[in-house]
Amino acid sequence: MTTTVSAAGLSLRYGLTTALDDVSLRLTEGVTGLLGPNGAGKTTLLRVLATAVPADEGTFTVLGHDPRTPAGRQETRRVLGYLPQTPGFHPDFSAFDFVDYVAILKELTDRTARHNEVRRVLAEVDLSDVRGKRIKKLSGGMRQRVALAAALVGDPGFLVLDEPTVGLDPEQRMRFRELIARAGEGRTVLLSTHQTEDVAMLCHRVVVMAAGRVRFDGTPAELTARAAGRVWSSSERDPNAKAGWRTGLGVFRNVGDPPPGAELVEPTLEDGYLLTLDGMHAEATA
Amino acid sequence: MTRESGETEQAGVQPPSTARVLAQLTRPVLRALPVRGLAATAAVALLIAALPRLLSDEPDQWSALIALRAAALTFALGLAFVLDDPARDLTSSVPTRRILRTTLRVALVAPFAAAWWTAAVLLIPSKIRPPVGDMTLEAAAAAVLSLAAAAAALRFTAEPEPGQRVAAGFLVIALVSPLALPNDWGMYVSPTEKQWGVGHDHWAMVLVGAVAVWAACGPEPVRRRRLIPT
Repeated sequence: MTTTVSAAGLSLRYGLTTALDDVSLRLTEGVTGLLGPNGAGKTTLLRVLATAVPADEGTFTVLGHDPRTPAGRQETRRVLGYLPQTPGFHPDFSAFDFVDYVAILKELTDRTARHNEVRRVLAEVDLSDVRGKRIKKLSGGMRQRVALAAALVGDPGFLVLDEPTVGLDPEQRMRFRELIARAGEGRTVLLSTHQTEDVAMLCHRVVVMAAGRVRFDGTPAELTARAAGRVWSSSERDPNAKAGWRTGLGVFRNVGDPPPGAELVEPTLEDGYLLTLDGMHAEATA
Repeated sequence: MTRESGETEQAGVQPPSTARVLAQLTRPVLRALPVRGLAATAAVALLIAALPRLLSDEPDQWSALIALRAAALTFALGLAFVLDDPARDLTSSVPTRRILRTTLRVALVAPFAAAWWTAAVLLIPSKIRPPVGDMTLEAAAAAVLSLAAAAAALRFTAEPEPGQRVAAGFLVIALVSPLALPNDWGMYVSPTEKQWGVGHDHWAMVLVGAVAVWAACGPEPVRRRRLIPT
């Protein structure tokens, strides 16, 4: 697949804290998931790729545009949409007016074409019925969809989504997954999340970050395969397990290095993710 | 030529002119301004300017000067909120440059500020009114300083609405500076004192400095500059 976004050696420090440490990656069309614990550098990476904050070192290009000059940054911004972790709104604006405002900021100045585009993206996120309603009167899930519509307006080729499903109820999350899956058709989407199910259901590729570095870059199946033979069930919690919990069926599910003769079970993406992070901790303490 | 839905630069379409974008932005930016807060501080500031007239049949020059300075400070505190933008994060990656957006905000507030200042000056009886040109310089310096502080807060922090903190800091500086600044700087003297002229040279320097800070903090950096290499 053709590389649409490529980053090499991205580093960024806030004082003594290293938020990004020599991050390199290549993204292709479709949805790529970005997993990692709090403080892993996910949001910082997304903000750098969205040109919201410049990196200290390293380079990246988005659909062939290099944002290291003011003109290059503008070109880059013309092809990207960004949904931040905590999108703020002008609460007195209606959903339509707000997305229309963002559309003007994205240089869609032909009024008729712009309004058609705003209607299109609001329909895409299922907000056509409430487009005239003030944002302050919308639910959290609807506001999140307004923010997604704002990111989608202008049909950007690269979409950066920072934890878009956080705080949503299960039904809203399912709806959002549908939207993200649709958004990933024909464009590059980078999705930061804590929800491994989101990655398992949506992403063709997953990147795991911790302590500002990329710890894994591959397919969800490859991440899951890291836990193959390392998940087992038992009637008691295994004290040697890296993690273990009692399931609804009353048996314990253990992740780590199984004892001989353990009853192995099918691993999940989450198991692979936990073991990847655990491997990193083991490296750090060695 | 404008970009149609779904079209991008790769399709070879030229972006619209800045003037066209600004023309379209005027209405939503006007709606996004903290109009109520600004109107409230303007009203309070006018009330302060009217105090000498309200409290005395024969107000003196000193009370008129204090009232006009306090009114200018109050209005400047309101201006600290002009650059507040709750949608800052969501609009941080758009091609329209931040400096254009903030300049538009200020340009929309400027006529209101000019009308307000005219009203404030007219509330002072002409017999005791301090020199209008010099007082306008002081008010302009305070206003631009407040806006420059807000622009610096946007430049150096990720805070979408730094107005409250900027106003608080500005108020503290305004209250402390008459005590902290050397007397011979003459920035808070009355028109009858000989340092009045020198004082207004200093006010002009404050204005120029504030404009320079505004100009430096307006553009978004494409590279981070560290004072200490890490």
